[in-house]
Amino acid sequence: MAEVVHQQAGRGRLRAMFGYEERSAIVFLAPVMAVLMGVAVFPILYSFYLSFFRMKLTRPNRTPFVWFDNYTDLFTNELFWVSVTRTVVFAVTSVTSIAVVALLVALLLNQNFRGRRILSTIILIPWAIPYVANALMWKWIYDSGYGALNGVLYQLDFIDKYMVWLGDQDKTIFLIANAFVWKEVPLAAILLLVSLKSIPSDLYQAARVDGATVWQRFFHVTLPAMKPGFMLVMIYETMMAIRHFDLFFILTEGGPGDASHVLSWHIYVETFRNLSFGSGAAMSYVLALVTFALSYTFIRTLGRKV
Amino acid sequence: MTDVSQTRTGGIDYRRRQRLSRIAHSLVILAGAIVLTIYVIAPVTWLVSSSFQTEAEIVSVPPHWIPDEPTLQNFEAIFTAQEEEEITYETRSGQDPAAGGFIPSTAKNLLPAMWNSFIVATLVVILNLLVGVPAAYALAKIRFWGRDGSVYFILITRVIPDIALVVPFFLVIRKLGMLDSIFSLVLTYLAVTVPFSVFILLQYFEGLPDELDKAARVDGCSRFQALVRVFLPLSLPSLVAVVLFTFLTSWNEFLLALMFTQTEASQTLPILLAAFTSDFTISFSFINAAGVLAIVPPVIVAVIFERYIVSGLTAGAVKG
Amino acid sequence: MARIRFENVEKKYANGFHAVKDLNLDIRDKEFLVLLGPSGCGKSTTLNMIAGLEEVSDGNLLFDDELVNYTPPHKRDVAMVFQSYALYPHKTVFDNIAFGLQMRKAPRAEIETRVRDAARKLEIEHLLDRRPSQLSGGQRQRVALGRAMVRDPAVFLMDEPLSNLDAALRISMRAEIKELHQQMQTTFVYVTHDQAEALTLADRIVVMRDGVVQQIGSPDDIYERPKNTFVASFLGSPPINYIDGVIEDRNGDGVKFVRGDLMLTLPEEIAAKLRHSDRREVRLGIRAEDVDEAAQGGEGTIIRGKVNSVLPVGSDQFLGFDFYGEELFFRVSKDLSHKVGEDVALSVDLNRLHLFDKDSGQSLLW
Repeated sequence: MAEVVHQQAGRGRLRAMFGYEERSAIVFLAPVMAVLMGVAVFPILYSFYLSFFRMKLTRPNRTPFVWFDNYTDLFTNELFWVSVTRTVVFAVTSVTSIAVVALLVALLLNQNFRGRRILSTIILIPWAIPYVANALMWKWIYDSGYGALNGVLYQLDFIDKYMVWLGDQDKTIFLIANAFVWKEVPLAAILLLVSLKSIPSDLYQAARVDGATVWQRFFHVTLPAMKPGFMLVMIYETMMAIRHFDLFFILTEGGPGDASHVLSWHIYVETFRNLSFGSGAAMSYVLALVTFALSYTFIRTLGRKV
Repeated sequence: MTDVSQTRTGGIDYRRRQRLSRIAHSLVILAGAIVLTIYVIAPVTWLVSSSFQTEAEIVSVPPHWIPDEPTLQNFEAIFTAQEEEEITYETRSGQDPAAGGFIPSTAKNLLPAMWNSFIVATLVVILNLLVGVPAAYALAKIRFWGRDGSVYFILITRVIPDIALVVPFFLVIRKLGMLDSIFSLVLTYLAVTVPFSVFILLQYFEGLPDELDKAARVDGCSRFQALVRVFLPLSLPSLVAVVLFTFLTSWNEFLLALMFTQTEASQTLPILLAAFTSDFTISFSFINAAGVLAIVPPVIVAVIFERYIVSGLTAGAVKG
Repeated sequence: MARIRFENVEKKYANGFHAVKDLNLDIRDKEFLVLLGPSGCGKSTTLNMIAGLEEVSDGNLLFDDELVNYTPPHKRDVAMVFQSYALYPHKTVFDNIAFGLQMRKAPRAEIETRVRDAARKLEIEHLLDRRPSQLSGGQRQRVALGRAMVRDPAVFLMDEPLSNLDAALRISMRAEIKELHQQMQTTFVYVTHDQAEALTLADRIVVMRDGVVQQIGSPDDIYERPKNTFVASFLGSPPINYIDGVIEDRNGDGVKFVRGDLMLTLPEEIAAKLRHSDRREVRLGIRAEDVDEAAQGGEGTIIRGKVNSVLPVGSDQFLGFDFYGEELFFRVSKDLSHKVGEDVALSVDLNRLHLFDKDSGQSLLW
């Protein structure tokens, strides 16, 4: 009897490492891991590998190994630095606007008034519509011949003749940012609303008892308590902004000139118009790293103050 | 005596100020609500309004905010285009040539593209549930070596920008000969959406008590049965949120579809829309009608399921 | 219908926490065994290992003679009642109770009769169509019991099942659980941190601390013959009093415990276990109730001190008692009135003294 027990126990040593719990966990996680390995991790590694080759689909049989040439080419390419500047301008403009507008929206939706529920449903509309439809809509609004923006400004006497909008180098990136902000505000507002709602009401009561005015309460109670929410919104929206592509593709194709030639557009042009996959991969890698670094520093700097 | 009257006037003063500030408060709210509504609604309304205008009306200066003679011709063109034989320069909807309105020959592709979008989105939703639900359950309720590592791994894959995936995706898919097939879209969309799905579900499952899981298993459920018979019936809200998110993400996705699709066999709605916008010969009102068609389904979904979306957004955000 | 054996069982978690250390325990068939200890002592982990909800890291766990280390819970014939009841919120009371039978593919008719039977016994027949959210705490507790008992399992596990009930209900449910055990004729393993529950319910108690078994024995053993100061302190209310002192065994006039003025002559049975212990430093334990008001015993049995506090508790009163700066608590009859600040002399029941090694806390008597 005892021997049987021990035999079982011996066989069990192996099973102990992969007991029923472990086995179920493996089975349950296998599909998701397979998908992510195959469709996220492998491509990333593959693109890292590719970034060391000069690979042009126009010359499919000659793909020499070039060490870091793709990266050094990248950093000496003037257009690349233009695209970095454009991306930074776009990201800073839109993320600050999103933060401000979303804060106002969240403060409004945090009040109790009739129609609040309808309003909070309405603001989901920009979030729900496809980016392409959003781009199409703003392209039509900004249209220099028949667009609504000219129409409104003209009828309200702000301008006395129709203006060129997207075609104007100085305005175009901000107009695109506006379209981006319009679509991103709902999500940001919902996230901020959650952190507003999580502020305990006795904090306000205590501030009121201490004689704090509305503004003092806002700056000393509301804003500090919303910091984690803001952090989340800033990280998320920054990542969305620096990778954004759809609006640039439809509204301006990087133009006029290079006025809206952002990084994602640069990657697209380099890869799919110039068919130079090696340097496209190198840039993808740079962008991925920048995204990681940004979200990391955001967490560090904002996180310390929280 | 004087004291009393002073306090009384003080009291009245105070009450009056309070009333004034209350009125000011509601005025600010009213103004804010009106401004916000206009900000959100106006662009969309303008799009919808111009989709009901004729080509002649749409080019008026200043614009007609409300169509003088609303017309369904743009939508008719989309829904009947299939039956027409072939739209050429000569046969294009037989309208006033002076207006220059042009319904493109690709109009007949709109409905198939919508259908493609729908099929892709539906498949992505189903796969997300099949793949995401067991993973989230395992991460929430099974204690095993490597659990935390798995959570971080899934978290990190969420941060990778899709533009960075495009190049290798393209090369891999090309090698597999899966270009211009909706399955390449399904596969890549699945990878893009599944981390978020797992986080929504993980959050929800963690909120359900551990003892419920233990009770189920002592009652004779295997891990799989505990998931199906006890956890799934209890997690409807999070399942709805996952379905909505993955559906909307897939329905709206543009960049990957731009890379992988070439013909109407796999083109999704956003691709066709984008093609319309870059074609200067196409009637504005027709483009707008197509845009409205792309907007309507997701907006209806969002309005109906508002509650689930908001809870899903916040759940996914807290962790991610 | 099952005997459960732990042989050198260890439980370590991935984070390095060592929850159970070298557990050797033989749970007899049809026994009512209580695992008692403070939170984090490993008692719930032990219960979960029996259920299969936690895997054994090392050692053997046997049901009768079968090794079940790697048998998942659904393949073990166990039923469990949880502190939070853990009823399925989406199922009716009937389906909650029936679920275990359904999962084991019992015939429908049998499920019906067994569920109704259990419901009748627990007096919850009228609730069968309700959902858990519509029930009171006590009713939920009954449903949870019903869910476990309908299965007629080989082992019946309970994890602090009464902790969420209010005090009155807890006492009456205790009686019902005891009755249930007699009816079901099956092995019960019951986890609690409540000494009163353990003492009333158990055939045997296992006292645990930091993953290590301190003592296994009948309630009487545990209470009367604690193996160390931890066990002695854990049971009894107010808790046992300790006085540090030395053993004197010199003049041949008996073995004595000495601390300042206090000198207790130890009875023969105790003295017999303390040979060659002169000058040994020990810790004396006196249970709160083991004193008497009237100083009938004469010298060698008397402890003197000043009354610090008087706490009437209905049937009797607790006397807070200052002894060399330490506060001792005794339970005395409420007939005598005491005033704070008054000097009192109490006679100690010498036959019920406990003696522990001062450093290790191990009992010198058992």
